[in-house]
Amino acid sequence: MTIKYLDKYPKNLAKSLWVVKPSWTVFKLFCKTVAHRPVTVLYPYEKEWVPDNYRGRPGLRFDKCVGCGMCARMCPTACIKLVDAVDDEGKTVKRPQVNMGRCAMCGYCAEYCPVDAMTVTPEYEIAEYTRFDLLYGPRRLNYDKTTPGMEVKLEVTLPSDIANGNPERRVSLFDLDRPELTDSKCIGCKKCAKVCPVSAITMVEKGTNEKTGKPILRPEIDNSKCICCRNCVDDCPKDALEIKEVL
Amino acid sequence: MDLVVEYNSLLNFINFGELGLMDNAYYPFDTYNLPYAICYRLWEVLGGTIAWLLNLLFPDNGVSRWLIGEGASTLFALILFMLVMFIVVFVCTLISLWMERKCLGRMMDRRGTMVGMKGFLQCVADGLKTFMKENTLPGKIDRMTYMWTVSLVIGVSVLVACMVPLSARWYVVDYDTGLLIIMAFFALAPFFILVSGWAQNNKYALIGGMRAAELMISYEVPMLIMIATTALLAGSFNIGDIVYAQNDTVWFFIPQIIGFITFFFCATAESERLPFDIAEAEAELVEGWQTEYAGMKWGLIMLADYFRGYVACAMVTIMYLGGWTLPFIGDGPIPEIVFLLKTWFVFFLMILIRAALARVRPDQILNIGWKVFMPLSVINLAVVLLLKVGGVF
Repeated sequence: MTIKYLDKYPKNLAKSLWVVKPSWTVFKLFCKTVAHRPVTVLYPYEKEWVPDNYRGRPGLRFDKCVGCGMCARMCPTACIKLVDAVDDEGKTVKRPQVNMGRCAMCGYCAEYCPVDAMTVTPEYEIAEYTRFDLLYGPRRLNYDKTTPGMEVKLEVTLPSDIANGNPERRVSLFDLDRPELTDSKCIGCKKCAKVCPVSAITMVEKGTNEKTGKPILRPEIDNSKCICCRNCVDDCPKDALEIKEVL
Repeated sequence: MDLVVEYNSLLNFINFGELGLMDNAYYPFDTYNLPYAICYRLWEVLGGTIAWLLNLLFPDNGVSRWLIGEGASTLFALILFMLVMFIVVFVCTLISLWMERKCLGRMMDRRGTMVGMKGFLQCVADGLKTFMKENTLPGKIDRMTYMWTVSLVIGVSVLVACMVPLSARWYVVDYDTGLLIIMAFFALAPFFILVSGWAQNNKYALIGGMRAAELMISYEVPMLIMIATTALLAGSFNIGDIVYAQNDTVWFFIPQIIGFITFFFCATAESERLPFDIAEAEAELVEGWQTEYAGMKWGLIMLADYFRGYVACAMVTIMYLGGWTLPFIGDGPIPEIVFLLKTWFVFFLMILIRAALARVRPDQILNIGWKVFMPLSVINLAVVLLLKVGGVF
């Protein structure tokens, strides 16, 4: 039996002998955990440190939000809905409402928010007694202690950039896309100008219709104002607008 | 009656010998017994108060005189003595239970129990919880065997735990064959476990009971050989003699280092602790032979397990680590504390082994018992014989 054992474990006999090695390992760990604290964190009494950009519940800066609906569009669990809210000046505006019962805490809403109004927060204890309590309205979603670290940016590294020796990340690359008009399809209904949350679209007269004598209206997009929210593209009844990639 | 002096050192300041209780005609022990002295003193206060109150109501009555008489005092002191012996062992066992949970937690890089007094009150909480549970009995069991075997397992474990002497002045009965009797009672439990597994009408319990029997036939023989070896070395089966023989020469783990290690593992198997808890084996059999026991029955079985662990450690301490004596000091002022500290140290080693090793398989335990422990114990016996014949001891 001994020979068999030696055949099986030929190296370092003294340490691998029977029970010595595991006992020694355990004893070392015991000494370590007696001297220092064990890895266990007593959760309700003490909490682990969370970083600023910890993806807890989404938070909203009400005044900064423009109501573009990008968060609702990007939400993978469809828990965000735009609802009417009254802002500080008494006007009715659109603001997101988050159903925390469905929220996966992925932080996409914060990533895609073009004005960084939607942020992630380090809050993760959001248990409630009823499902209704889990609906966070725009005002409840507001998070006062927002720091710059909580604004999650959508950072992209392009393969072409790396090939050109420029490894720096581009921030909010997709916000640079712009809607483009196909002139022949447009009927000048002004819908795009109405839905634009930042008023980047103005209707401009481009001559007069020969049959009816009415002015021909075409949208003109102010690229400095556009936040690439695609509301105009979605609402266009004739599909005259489409997003064009701008780099 | 100066038997006290035999083991007394100058440091022995806790001495109730002047009470005169050994002049009592009914004194139940041969030598001075500290817990009995405490209990006698306690009964003198309690019984004296009762007798005084009765005497106030009914002046010069017979009951009062009987209560403070020699016979009644001895009787009630013995009743208190039983309680004290049990409570001390019970508290020691609870402390070893707490130690196991806490140390095992640290060895697994977690915290262990946290409820009150550094986690000690978790034992109390668990006891209360099991006490509150409904006392259910399964339908198709053999009810008499089912209840009797569990009572015997628990009873024998508690009995054996109370029989372990903590020092020369802290004992129940000072047998000349004390070691043998304790080991005999200690080895009874696997039989009851086997019968209990049969009586429960449950496949897991039955396998657990069978495994307990299998475990016993593999460790019991080498263990008895090593007990005989120790008795041979000390020249007596009396626990006090064995301890003082070690005090006179060296602790027996030095000449019998092989025997110490082997007996340590055999004792681990005897108390059915990991890595030899194949009868319980909660990862394979649901709860082994305890599967069908509910509520406080299960709680008491678990407690009895720890009683047995405590006794196994106490046996190792008595046989190899010099019992309640310390080198160059002898008995010391508080030999009971020395004994308990040594016992807990051995228990710590058991916890270490438990945390380090995986549970052995039932076929491996037979291999280990007959191919490893058995030759080692015989080698140990040969070494001791050589030492004995060579005149070293």
